[in-house]
Amino acid sequence: MKSFNVKALVSIGMLSSIGFVLMLLNFPLPPFPKFLMVDFSDIPALIAALIFGPVAGILVELFKNILDYVITSSETGIPVGHISNFIAGILFVVPTYYIYEKLKTKKGMTYALVAGTVIMAIVMSVLNYFVFLPAYTLFMGFPAMSGDETRQMIVAGILPFNIVKGIIISIVFILLFSRMSTWIGKQRAYRV
Amino acid sequence: MMEKMIFGRYIPAVSPMHRMDPRSKIILVFLFVCVVFIANNAITYGLLAIYTFLMVLSSKVPIRFILGGLRIVLWLVLFTLVLHLFFTKEGEVLFHWGAISIYEGGLKQGIFISVRFFLLILMTSLLTLTTTPIEITDGIEVLLNPLKKIKFPVHELALMMSISLRFIPTLMEETDKIMKAQTARGVEFSGGPIKDRVKAIIPLLIPLFIGSFKRAEELATAMEARGYRGGEGRTKYRQLRWSLVDTVMLLILAVVTAALVLFRS
Repeated sequence: MKSFNVKALVSIGMLSSIGFVLMLLNFPLPPFPKFLMVDFSDIPALIAALIFGPVAGILVELFKNILDYVITSSETGIPVGHISNFIAGILFVVPTYYIYEKLKTKKGMTYALVAGTVIMAIVMSVLNYFVFLPAYTLFMGFPAMSGDETRQMIVAGILPFNIVKGIIISIVFILLFSRMSTWIGKQRAYRV
Repeated sequence: MMEKMIFGRYIPAVSPMHRMDPRSKIILVFLFVCVVFIANNAITYGLLAIYTFLMVLSSKVPIRFILGGLRIVLWLVLFTLVLHLFFTKEGEVLFHWGAISIYEGGLKQGIFISVRFFLLILMTSLLTLTTTPIEITDGIEVLLNPLKKIKFPVHELALMMSISLRFIPTLMEETDKIMKAQTARGVEFSGGPIKDRVKAIIPLLIPLFIGSFKRAEELATAMEARGYRGGEGRTKYRQLRWSLVDTVMLLILAVVTAALVLFRS
């Protein structure tokens, strides 16, 4: 953290606002239930990670979720959805960053994004099975779902949704990256 | 729309709740979220409901704003209630009709959990309704100050948070401007198949990123030119003051908590 200069601090703040604004422009995907929404707010986090390092990416994910909680407020009062969005974001951004750093080509970025999508989708399914869905049912006082029901919901809904979401974000990011990679490379000069 | 983004859900009014220091408000709501789980019978839930009701009433936030927030979760609460009615099988059978029978335990459990849920939402939304986002940021910064001892960068985090709060309206305006410019050229942002939406978002994102980095550069230069060097020795424009209201409010919650512990079964 000490290594962030003023320019980096300010830029991370700005990218978080962009993330929040993009979060407002979310939309549902037709075959999935309405509470699973796609938005492009992971893209500023990816850019932050590429320019200022992985911690910056995590910070952008953190701030956009705090902003969304403070400004639009959570439906349940307790930010379950925000916490899972935050963790999903980290799981997507951090692996993508490290794999890209190893390969450093445009093609490498494609592999990195595919790997990021797969890691995010799989780990989120596992976390949903063991943590989020049980936490949700516990908090709401629902009679606990049986293992089979939970498994079915994850395999039929959450896993494919996260993969589709990852693919959409990846496509947008690759289109963006092919135009902006020189600019991103220049901005990296600010990294200390 | 723009106004909504600056103030979040904040509604200005003159009330004890508005006059409270953001620090004590955050502590109060956090403690309340823990205290709610002490209640386990009719008396304790009744007590909590009265306390919350009085807090909402004293905050002078128009009832329709509070109900507006509750409308979204109403179906969720009803769903929980129905689920408990039919599936919790404890105590005596109260009602029997065909294959459906409602048990005393299910009714109780369903009502208690719905009430708990409502109270939690009321209190947390009371925080965002009576405090501006920037006040909440200031409050959290001061509350996290002790973490500086273990080298946790509280000041830097709060700075980034305030900067992003400050620039949301600016960036929304810019997004709006770019969207209008692109719409004038025939791009459609809302509606249409996914493929077109994905294509439309690229010419929106690129100017947004480049513009915001230019702005960040200018702001960083301005800050350094004015001698910004981290949190050390920085004075504040918005001062936080702990007053009598804060102590009284926390004492009231302490009394309620004591009563809850006393009456719980």
